[in-house]
Amino acid sequence: MVILEGKNITKRFAGLVAVGDVDFNLQQGEILGLIGPNGAGKTTLVNVIAGVYAPSKGDVFFKGKQISGKKPYQVGRMGISRTFQVVKPFPGMTVKENAAVGAMYGAGGRNKSAKQAIQRAEEILEFVGLADQMNKGADQLSVASRKRLEMAKALAMEPELVLFDEVMAGLNFSEIDQAVQLIKKIRESGMTILIIEHVMRAIKNVCDRVFVLHHGEKIADGTVEDVLNDEAVIKAYLGRRYKELTH
Amino acid sequence: MDKKTLPYVLICGLILLLVILFPLFSNNFIIRFGTDILMFAIMASSWNIIGGYTGYASFGNVVFFGIGGYITAVLMEKAGLHFAIAYLAAGGGAALFAVLIGLPVLRLRGHYFAIATLGVAEAMKALVQNLEITEGNSGIYLPMLDLSIKGQYFFFFYMMLGTLILTLLVTYLVLNAKLGYSLVAVREDEDAANSVGINTTLSKTVAFALSGFFTGLAGSIYAYQQAFLKPGPAFSVHTTVKMIVMAVFGGMGKLFGPLIGAFSIEIISETLSNYFLVAHTLFFGTVVILAIVFTPKGLIDMITKRKFGISYFLENIREHRI
Amino acid sequence: MLLQILVNGVLMGGLYALMAIGMSLIWGVMDIINIAHGSFIMLGAFTTYWLFSFFGMDPFVSLVFSMALLFVLGYGVQKYLINYVIRASAFITLILAFGIEIFINNAALVSWTADVRKVKVAYGAANFSFGNWVTIPTIRLLAFFLVIVISVVFFYVLNRTNLGRSIRATSQDLDAARLVGVDVARTYAITFGLGVGAAGAAGTLWSVLFPISPMMGGELTLKSFVVVIIGGLGSMLGPIIGGLALGIAEAFGTNWFGSTYANLISFTILVLVLIIRPKGILGGAD
Repeated sequence: MVILEGKNITKRFAGLVAVGDVDFNLQQGEILGLIGPNGAGKTTLVNVIAGVYAPSKGDVFFKGKQISGKKPYQVGRMGISRTFQVVKPFPGMTVKENAAVGAMYGAGGRNKSAKQAIQRAEEILEFVGLADQMNKGADQLSVASRKRLEMAKALAMEPELVLFDEVMAGLNFSEIDQAVQLIKKIRESGMTILIIEHVMRAIKNVCDRVFVLHHGEKIADGTVEDVLNDEAVIKAYLGRRYKELTH
Repeated sequence: MDKKTLPYVLICGLILLLVILFPLFSNNFIIRFGTDILMFAIMASSWNIIGGYTGYASFGNVVFFGIGGYITAVLMEKAGLHFAIAYLAAGGGAALFAVLIGLPVLRLRGHYFAIATLGVAEAMKALVQNLEITEGNSGIYLPMLDLSIKGQYFFFFYMMLGTLILTLLVTYLVLNAKLGYSLVAVREDEDAANSVGINTTLSKTVAFALSGFFTGLAGSIYAYQQAFLKPGPAFSVHTTVKMIVMAVFGGMGKLFGPLIGAFSIEIISETLSNYFLVAHTLFFGTVVILAIVFTPKGLIDMITKRKFGISYFLENIREHRI
Repeated sequence: MLLQILVNGVLMGGLYALMAIGMSLIWGVMDIINIAHGSFIMLGAFTTYWLFSFFGMDPFVSLVFSMALLFVLGYGVQKYLINYVIRASAFITLILAFGIEIFINNAALVSWTADVRKVKVAYGAANFSFGNWVTIPTIRLLAFFLVIVISVVFFYVLNRTNLGRSIRATSQDLDAARLVGVDVARTYAITFGLGVGAAGAAGTLWSVLFPISPMMGGELTLKSFVVVIIGGLGSMLGPIIGGLALGIAEAFGTNWFGSTYANLISFTILVLVLIIRPKGILGGAD
């Protein structure tokens, strides 16, 4: 079943067309990659889905219902979570409290009391591997842990669809592999994932399909293998030497 | 209740008991002084809800104090209603005003929010000065409480005490409920709060309304106590300054911070005015300056971290200078 | 009649603009809202008063002294006081400014008593008339003229001198300015000094036109806020436009509704501007 669908999504900022007439869809349970050079409009597209921006034209449908134009908190409560490229933890709270807020107010939050949410938060932190840092202040974490916390906050909301925006940035190789394992675990627990990434290693290991944005327009869409060998994608983003370097 | 919190609860209980018994052993002047401390504690604690926990530093909270006072005055004097009704209406009216003005004004951040609230307070003062029903600048009288002198002092003391306990209790309950978490989330990162599913507009408005409600109650009691109200003192920006300084000095964003701050500042202020009849406000200003430079995180921070030495003060300066 | 009101509004507006220039400079560059602004205006006014009383110095001459004195005071206050909390939250700095305001106002009160004073110059009653339409008191015209001169000087300093360049750089990006070698601490102190100096000038001109007292500052600070918000931060023109707007609005407002409504008008305008267009008329930098 198609869980997320975007039709003719266009987002303009004054004269600049950040996203131009983009179509995409996600099947439930799949991991879709979104790649492209900096400034291609990837985060803007995620912002449109998440409700931060209303699209200038076009619509977004989640499980068949139109969500374009809804506010971010409404989108969050409907079952879509997102992370931020530059992580946004709540610095004055502990790691546990950070995750707990997600559990309180996300899609799964309706029936939870504050206490229950905190318990759920502990489970989520266990799942992402931050259990040992539960009571630390969020502002005291390392970069890799902060990325984990960002993911934990999103997962605590009990979403059906997660939008990950460059969660691998700044991680070393072993941290990337760990993050890839975590993302696979997340999919196995039943969630659908849209992942924006520059780290091709992760894209190759985790995605079912990939689509590519360039100057706000979609220039390719298909399996990982097809897209990474696509001429237009190589020209716009990957570069000729990519093939040489990764073979 | 676990072993760790038991001593704290006992201490609080003991202090509360002492405060309740306090008027029985004091003269009227001291009771009045205590009543004033309680009044400022209410205002500082109310301010803490929107300023300390939610991170929206309002510079116009005195508007709720004045509104509460004037609602009480008008209802009692012009409509002949009983204080109990006027008191509740004062709180409710102030809260309602908070919601109405909050909707446009809470969209602003930081400096702009502060100034907008300041503007609202000043505008309200100017409005009340020009309205007939509030008797403008001549001031409005309230009926006097029908009790003995001592009885009156007791009444207002316990009214303020009860209101303070209510304020702190509600704040405590809110903090441990989802709403409390949402307020802190708004303060820490409003965009993240939005994306995590928090309806930040609703949360902020509720916080502002709570802040207004309790401040309005304090204003109501004050008006009845004074039996006379003028726009200047009722909407004085100096009152706002005091409540903010008390909250910050005691420790913003902490439950008992503003109470400790109100107590300390009032004691310091009173002591100064006894020693320096003429220049005490001058020294008050000095105290504020020194306190802010050396202990910006408030007294509670000093107490909980057990740092009482010079090095703590110097640490604060080093962290904050250019 | 209408013209007279307009002229009154413009003249008053000029004075408001000068009051606000100092606050706008400090706010725009250092992101500090100087709550004590009105107190500095008051000090400027009293400097002129005492120079006039003791030495018979013409107020327009004492302008130089009050500006210089207040520049030094401002520089000192920033360097030895505000500097210590400047990196803490903006809010902490605000409270410090409140403390300074209380201190200055009460020091003045203690030293000079609460008596209202007036600077009575010999030519105080003189005025210009344009037929039957407009009458302008000479000193108001002189004051307005000086406002223009001072504004032009400020504009020149900010935009054409190295000092001005350092100030603008620091306001745009503190760390970047440091990296290119700007002495940020000194720049901040000078900026604050200039802002306070402007306040002093406004005080001098105010003393010539209106009675003064140690507690006059509070209301003037609020008025300055309104002007800065209406005009918008980020350029020298902001306070000027804002001042003129407020002056004219007040002139017509009090004419139609009565003078007791002056404050209600200005503060309602303030709140409305913030709600509708927080960046003000010239809305530049945030």
